Amino acid sequence: MHPILANQERLAIYMLAWLIFGGMLAAVLAVPKDFLWTESLAVAVPLTLLYGTICLSSWYMCRVFPLHKTGYAQLLLLYVIAGFLTSSLWILIGNGWTLLLERLSLFAPLSARFTAKTPLLVGVGFILFTLTVAVHYLIITFEATKLAEQRELQSRILAQEAELKALRAQINPHFLFNSLNSISALTTQNPAAARTMTLRLADFLRKSLRVGTQELIRLEEEVSLTLNFLEIEQIRFGPRLRVEQSISEPCKDCLIPPLILQPLVENAIHHGIAQLVGGGTIRLLADWSGSVLRIQLENPVDADRTKSRRTGFGLENIRKRLRAIYETDADLHTEEKDGCFTAELSLPAQTSRAFSNRQKAENGNGLTDVSGK
Amino acid sequence: MQPIRSVIVDDEELARGIVREFLTPHSDIEIIAECSNGFEAVKAITELKPDLVFLDIQMPKLNGLEVLELVDKNLSVIFVTAYDQYAVRAFEVHAIDYLLKPFTKQRFDEALGRARWKIAQNETVPFSEIVADARPRDVPLERVLVREGSKVHVLPIDRIDYVEAQDDYIAIRSEGKTHLKQQRLTELESSLDQKRFVRIHRSYILNVDRLARLELYAKDSRMAVLKDGTKLPVSRSGYEKLKGLL
Repeated sequence: MHPILANQERLAIYMLAWLIFGGMLAAVLAVPKDFLWTESLAVAVPLTLLYGTICLSSWYMCRVFPLHKTGYAQLLLLYVIAGFLTSSLWILIGNGWTLLLERLSLFAPLSARFTAKTPLLVGVGFILFTLTVAVHYLIITFEATKLAEQRELQSRILAQEAELKALRAQINPHFLFNSLNSISALTTQNPAAARTMTLRLADFLRKSLRVGTQELIRLEEEVSLTLNFLEIEQIRFGPRLRVEQSISEPCKDCLIPPLILQPLVENAIHHGIAQLVGGGTIRLLADWSGSVLRIQLENPVDADRTKSRRTGFGLENIRKRLRAIYETDADLHTEEKDGCFTAELSLPAQTSRAFSNRQKAENGNGLTDVSGK
Repeated sequence: MQPIRSVIVDDEELARGIVREFLTPHSDIEIIAECSNGFEAVKAITELKPDLVFLDIQMPKLNGLEVLELVDKNLSVIFVTAYDQYAVRAFEVHAIDYLLKPFTKQRFDEALGRARWKIAQNETVPFSEIVADARPRDVPLERVLVREGSKVHVLPIDRIDYVEAQDDYIAIRSEGKTHLKQQRLTELESSLDQKRFVRIHRSYILNVDRLARLELYAKDSRMAVLKDGTKLPVSRSGYEKLKGLL
């Protein structure tokens, strides 16, 4: 759509500008006393308004020859030719108009005096044409910027929505409702424990909301969140849930996507511990060998459980996230052997500083340095 | 008046605790057992024959619905679950009482009131229909459960050779043993994987993996010979189904 024609307000301003040009042109003709004021207004005003309408068509040229994609020499040549042609055409129409006014014998003969002014009028027409072209380019640039801003805003909103959705999916309804039920039971049986559990739950939710908005977090933070989650589940499962962890010291500074372990521990509880009469031990291990960070989560499973309970969307989600961030450099491997289920994540081992530096060197925009180093 | 004998089934001690607590003011209800998994629940319900069971759905070994499948049907049940969309839909369809964790004392008392009334009326509940409705539809059965006395056998379906209809029962042949279960053959057939189990005869469902060959022994009459030598009759429509699969 034409940016001026499509917008009534703009069209009004545009035509008003041309009305002023018409007045100015009338002055140009009347001041040297070649024309009477009435004559010059009758000639100049309708003609400039008509010309304004004709000049609107220059937008189509502006669109075909975008400012940044066309050479300046080419643009100059193009608009000099177009300007002279349009302005000449205008003067030709102007001649016709003066002849018509002559016929109507409202004024003294005009056309000869008008023809005498041809060079001046063509010049004015040329200037007005190029002015319109400039206005059109201005509008195009302005609208492109506005569109880009809108797009950016929209993509930001979409990204945020996706994040929230991911987070909602992360907070397992089983976990939430069972925890609330435990709290409800503890309020009379053991009020102090009820408070502890409420605080742990609040802590877990707050932390996961916070890290969920970050691109990468330190393994130490992720592990603390995981342990926080397991502490809550320990209240619910009692002695049935035992937890062991071994995170080697240098690994703690490695950066990993937030909440990537969450679906794994939830699976370990839901498909592992919760299905076992005697429960079992969940082991969380992390080690760094060469340039690869390996995070392992082990849990016992009931070999007799039905397969339909095994299907996990969580695992597929983790794989998708890993692919999006690391392409083929990261992997999730799962294995079930002798009643023990193991999930192993292998990621590029990147400590805070090394990673953000490399990112900066590679594409000039550093990631949020969460470690604060 | 006879007290209502009840059993609490939940794998979480805290969750059993809250049911126990909410039952305290109701002197007409007696807690005769507490169970923390499906096997215990089947055993307790079979041996103690309670009037009322508070039954959790998510449990180790057998879930609440599987427990129901295995016990005598003259029983009043209040389901207790944190989150189970399939089960809740089934309960609503059959107007069965269920409590969503966490629940209020008031909600608990309401459910208990209805259970009392049903026990007094001796009202029966269509358990098998609820169990069938509560199962996710698109997932074929992975295991068949049978009860012998108060003991539960879990039969993974790939170890089942064939199933035979016998009056009100079905006889499941698996690993050289025969297990009886009170179920209709058609009911079992509909929940099995149609690509692996075929109704070859009005009275037989066959695990296709066990088939060795088909023998023609009279015009339009065939026998399926299994790998262990067992012979089963095959009806004409059963033969068509087998041909379609092989």
